[in-house]
Amino acid sequence: MTKIEEVKAKVEAGKSKLVPGLVQEALDAGNNPQDILDAMVESMGVVGEKFSTGEIFVPEMLIAAKAMSKGVDVLKPHLAGDGASKLGTCIIGTVAGDLHDIGKNLVSLMIESAGFDMVDLGVDVPAETFVQAIKDHDNVKIVACSGLLTSTMPAMKEAVATIKASGLTGFKVIVGGAPVTPEYAAEIGADGFAPDAGTAAVKAKELATA
Amino acid sequence: MLTKKQNLVEVMKGGNPDRFVKQYEAFAMMMRTPITRIKPPIGGEIVNEWGVTIRWPEGQLGAFPVHDEEHIVIKDITKWRDYVKAPSVECSEESWAVAIADAEAVDRNDQYVTVFVAPGIFEQVHYLMSMEEALMAYYEEPEAMHELIDYIVEFELKLAKEFVDHLHPDAVFHHDDWGSQINSFISPAMFEEFFVPAYKKIYGYYKDNGVELIIHHSDSYAANLVPAMIEMGIDIWQGVMTTNHVPDLIKEYGGKITFMGDIDSGVIDFPGWTKENIEEKVETACRRCGKLYFIPGASQGLNVSSFPGVYEATDEAIDRMTKEMF
Repeated sequence: MTKIEEVKAKVEAGKSKLVPGLVQEALDAGNNPQDILDAMVESMGVVGEKFSTGEIFVPEMLIAAKAMSKGVDVLKPHLAGDGASKLGTCIIGTVAGDLHDIGKNLVSLMIESAGFDMVDLGVDVPAETFVQAIKDHDNVKIVACSGLLTSTMPAMKEAVATIKASGLTGFKVIVGGAPVTPEYAAEIGADGFAPDAGTAAVKAKELATA
Repeated sequence: MLTKKQNLVEVMKGGNPDRFVKQYEAFAMMMRTPITRIKPPIGGEIVNEWGVTIRWPEGQLGAFPVHDEEHIVIKDITKWRDYVKAPSVECSEESWAVAIADAEAVDRNDQYVTVFVAPGIFEQVHYLMSMEEALMAYYEEPEAMHELIDYIVEFELKLAKEFVDHLHPDAVFHHDDWGSQINSFISPAMFEEFFVPAYKKIYGYYKDNGVELIIHHSDSYAANLVPAMIEMGIDIWQGVMTTNHVPDLIKEYGGKITFMGDIDSGVIDFPGWTKENIEEKVETACRRCGKLYFIPGASQGLNVSSFPGVYEATDEAIDRMTKEMF
C-alpha cells in the first residue's frame, strides 16, 4: 500500500490521530500535496456514499471528516493558494425561524470535505442575510439552505426567492431537510436538492462544476 | 365495551380489541411530580438540574440546549467527572402530595398510571456535550462514554425508585430520540454496546417493581433498532414514523412489541391544519397497519399538539376509523 493509499484508508476509517502523521509521511515521500488532498476528498466521497446508502451512520461520517480536517491542516502550508478549496465558496444556513443545526452541520462538513470553502451563517438565518453573505464573499458557487420543520418551509421558499431575485449570479441554490422533497425544491425554484449529507456534497460538486 | 386498558391489552396481545386505541387515552400521565424535569417556558431560558442551559425561543416547537463554548457542560469528555453532577431526586414527602393525589384519582382498571421520563440517556449525553462531540466520542473515548452512561443510569435508577415508592406506576413513558427521520443516529452495533445494557437495567428495574408497560418515545426512524427495543423490554414504541414502514414492522415483530404512531406530526400539525388532512392521514395509517399491535396516533411525544385542536381532531378521526373498521 502506498502512503497515499494509507492516507485514504485511514481517512475513510476516521483515524484522526493517525492521518496527520501519514499525510506528513506522504509529503516526505515526495508525493504532490494536491494528489494527497485529492485522495482525501475521494475518501470522503466514499464515506458520503456509504452514509447515503445507510452502510455507515453519523459517527462514522463525523470521525472521517475530522480525520480529513486534521490531514488538511498538515497539507495547507504546502498547497498553492491559501488552502484546500478548489471548488469555490459555499454559503450555508438554516432558514429563518428554524433553530435546527445538526443536519446543517453534517451537510457543511461533507461539502467542505468535497473541496469547498464554507461560510456557515448558523441557524434562523433571514433571507436577506443569505444575500448579504453572497455579496460579502468571493467565488460563491453554492448557497445551501436547510430546514427541518414543516412550519418553516415558507421561510425556505422566501429564502430561495429572495436569493434568486437579488440579481446576483454565478452560484446555484440547493435545499434540504426532513420535510423537503425534490418536488418541493423544484417548486420553490431551487437548483438542487439532497436528501442527506453525503448526497448534498455530490450535488454541490456537480452543480459547481457544471 | 372494554375499558381503555383492556382494549389496549387486546391490541398488544393480538386478541379482540373492540375499537382502535385513541393515541394516549390509556395512559394517565403523572406530570406534577417533584422530580419531573424542568423545561423553559416558551420564550424563556433555564439552566436545568444538570447545569444544561436550555432555551425555548418564541415561535419554536420545542426547546434547544445551548452548546456554545460558554454554556456547554462537558468541555472535555475525558474529564467528565469534573463537569457533571447528577441532581438529587430526594424531595420532601409533602412535595409528592399533588402527584400522589393525581395517581389516586386514576381508575386503574381503565387507565395506566404513567410516569414520564425525559430526556433519555442518549439525549442526556448530547445535552451535556453536543450531538457532534457525543457521536464522535463513542468512537474516540468509548471508556469515558461508558462511564458517563453508567452514571446517568445510576441517576435514572434513583429516579425510578422515587416514582415506584411514591406512585406505584403501572406504566413508564420514557423519551429518547434515537434517529433522524431517515436513519438511526448510530449503528445497531454501537447501540447494542452503549445503550442496550443501560436500558435493560432501567426498564428491568421498573418491570421488577410492578410496572406493567414500558412505552418508549423516539419520533424517528429506528426500524433497525427494533430487536434491541424488544431486548430492552419495551412494550410499545411510540412515535414510530412512516419512514419505518410500520406495516412491515407489525408483520415482523407484532406480538413482541406494539407500534404507536404511523402519523407524522409534521404532516398534520402545522399552522393552517385541516380536519380533512388529518382524517386522510389517520385513515391511511389505520387501513395499512390494521387493528392489532398498532395504536394510531401522531408521532408527538405527549398527549398534546403543537397547534390547538390537532390532537382532538386526530382522536375524532380515529373514532371515525373505529366506526368503519370495527
